[in-house]
Amino acid sequence: MQNTNKWLPYLYIAPCLVFLALFVYYPIVENFFYSFYDFSAFSVEKTFVGFENFLNLFKDEVFYIALKNNLWYAVISIVFQVFGGLILAAILEDKLVRLVSGLFRTVFFLPVVISMTVIALLFTFVYNPDIGILNGLLNMLGLENLTRSWLGESETAIFAVIAVSQWQSIGYIMMLFIVAIQNIPQELYEAADIDGASKIRKFFAITVPQVKEMFFVTTLITLTGAFTVFNEPYILTGGGPGNSSEVLGTLLYHSAFGKDQMGYASAVATVILLITLIVSLVQLKVFKTGKDV
Amino acid sequence: MKKLLILSIISILFLSSFAGCSKSSSSTNGKDVVELKFFHRWPNQPKKQYFEKAVKEFEKAHPNIKIKTEAVLNDSYKEKIRVVLGSSTPPDVFFSWSGEFAYNFARQGQSLDLTNYVNEDKAWSDQIIASQFNAFTLDSKIYGIPWSTDGKAFFYNKKIFKDLNLEVPTTWSQLIDVSKKIKAAGLTPITFGSKAPWTISHYIGTLNQLMVPQDVLDKDYDPKNPEGDFSHPGYVKALEKFMELKPYFNKGVNSVDHEYSRELFNSGKAAIGFFQLAEIGLIEPSLKENLGVFNVPGVEGGKGNPNSITAAPEGIMISSKTKHPKEAMEFVKFLTSKEKGIEQLKEVSEYSAVKGTTTEANASKLQQDAINLILNAEQTYLWFDTAVDIKIVDAYLNGTQLMLDGKKSPEEVMKDVRAAAKEVKASANK
Repeated sequence: MQNTNKWLPYLYIAPCLVFLALFVYYPIVENFFYSFYDFSAFSVEKTFVGFENFLNLFKDEVFYIALKNNLWYAVISIVFQVFGGLILAAILEDKLVRLVSGLFRTVFFLPVVISMTVIALLFTFVYNPDIGILNGLLNMLGLENLTRSWLGESETAIFAVIAVSQWQSIGYIMMLFIVAIQNIPQELYEAADIDGASKIRKFFAITVPQVKEMFFVTTLITLTGAFTVFNEPYILTGGGPGNSSEVLGTLLYHSAFGKDQMGYASAVATVILLITLIVSLVQLKVFKTGKDV
Repeated sequence: MKKLLILSIISILFLSSFAGCSKSSSSTNGKDVVELKFFHRWPNQPKKQYFEKAVKEFEKAHPNIKIKTEAVLNDSYKEKIRVVLGSSTPPDVFFSWSGEFAYNFARQGQSLDLTNYVNEDKAWSDQIIASQFNAFTLDSKIYGIPWSTDGKAFFYNKKIFKDLNLEVPTTWSQLIDVSKKIKAAGLTPITFGSKAPWTISHYIGTLNQLMVPQDVLDKDYDPKNPEGDFSHPGYVKALEKFMELKPYFNKGVNSVDHEYSRELFNSGKAAIGFFQLAEIGLIEPSLKENLGVFNVPGVEGGKGNPNSITAAPEGIMISSKTKHPKEAMEFVKFLTSKEKGIEQLKEVSEYSAVKGTTTEANASKLQQDAINLILNAEQTYLWFDTAVDIKIVDAYLNGTQLMLDGKKSPEEVMKDVRAAAKEVKASANK
């Protein structure tokens, strides 16, 4: 009986493992091999081209535009979602706003449960140059010279897209921080109160160090999210005008299904995978997670 | 316990092998029912319903054939059709744009050569406007049956023109002149939305026809002709002519889509729009007798044929992998019959490619005029985005979006286009 018990756990996790291997790891490996071939969706055979796809990719100026846009995505998301989310969470968990915090929590969290497609379509109306609420608001405030066609100009398009993501995701990150803050022992704050610490001092001396683990989780979520983003730019601008709001995800999509260069698209996918891998490895090192909690 | 493990693994394997079987044997239950997969690009009403109805009628008349329909919209269709045709179970019958889009399937051996079917049943095939077959013919083999035909022209709001005392422009400079006056009156002269950039390609295709001689276009559009390098100065001029319209477009064209621009026109806020003739059915209900149509005016000094129109059929193709070519053809014939052609204009406002289907009985005066615009043109040109290789189109569209944004000059756009053309032609001749 004991002998069989050794196998039993593996049997239980087997379905999960099989599915994971089949639908996650196998495609990743397969994709890696595809990136060395040149083929279209209906070509019968694939031509081996070695590193040509990668060389072309590194020569492609659109790749650098996309990479730059992803970096903007990452930086802005860290600032607004992680830091902004933490500050929001700390405010909502403060004794002064505890009474109404339930309401605000819901308000901030609501965008998270709305489908990204719906939100993106909603924001095409917000950004509309003629009837959009954003330009309307600017006009009302007498800032006519700030009004512009937000999604239609290459300087603003990507930032207009990034802004939508911030609006949507900040509630999610905030919720994670709220959970983390609620786990902080109340005694720490009480002790600080007795010492006469100010709210800001308590925030930096107690809240921030205590939610460090969550910090790691949320930066990982936002960073990988920033490098794999697709829906928002695809629906809001389609990567345009020109290629100015292209991100790696839309570049992959356009190469694969627009220009029918499947091998090239696989190369883009491999690069995205490498970037996210490196990002998470660096974070593991920097945060030394799990070691000194 | 160990036995249990082995038993369960075996049963899983066993079950999965069953799952594989069931798919292939499902179509033959009893009386040899043939199942055809039909893939089209209108999941939206009213066309979705039109096809559902047509399928039902066909199934009633042919009890031995069952048709399974699938549909995805426009841009997604362009992407998805390539993928499903490459798979091992492609749709038997599918829709296709004409020109390079269809040729691509033919060249890759994905679509069935229909020449024999067309020649066999003359009673049916002679009803179809002969010129419409050209756009599906590659190396004198017919790969698709034209289902609908459509063209592009300027639509205008007669009421605005009358109020401002304007004449319908017959030359490009008159068009600019008219636009100037409309703008002065505080209205949007020309409505346009280039967020989904295929709308750009229609302007460019049309202007290229007007500015560049036919033989040069043929050479340049052919993906295999290495001499066609897009170096004719008419291409830059065509883009410059397009940019002359920019001051008269609505605000922020890059951020609004075609549907929005049509609404601007529908609501009478814009005086002119560049629309497809099939859209008459969508616009006439709101503008009524105030809707007028004129062909793109000739450009002074243009080297192309001014009596031409961008007009091309859309058609139906059959997969080369189909197991039931006869039954599939039967269905295609049904969809492209005269009877269906008449219904189709009335119900979904698509002009049938069958002769004599646009009549007083089922079309407005304007729709009849519109179809005559196509029939009377000396030359018709394919939609630019389906006439040319996708990589060249891509360079054009991205470049033009940036040009509208003031980031690129026409000369710079053409530089990108030439580079793309060089790449396409090099890889086609490898």
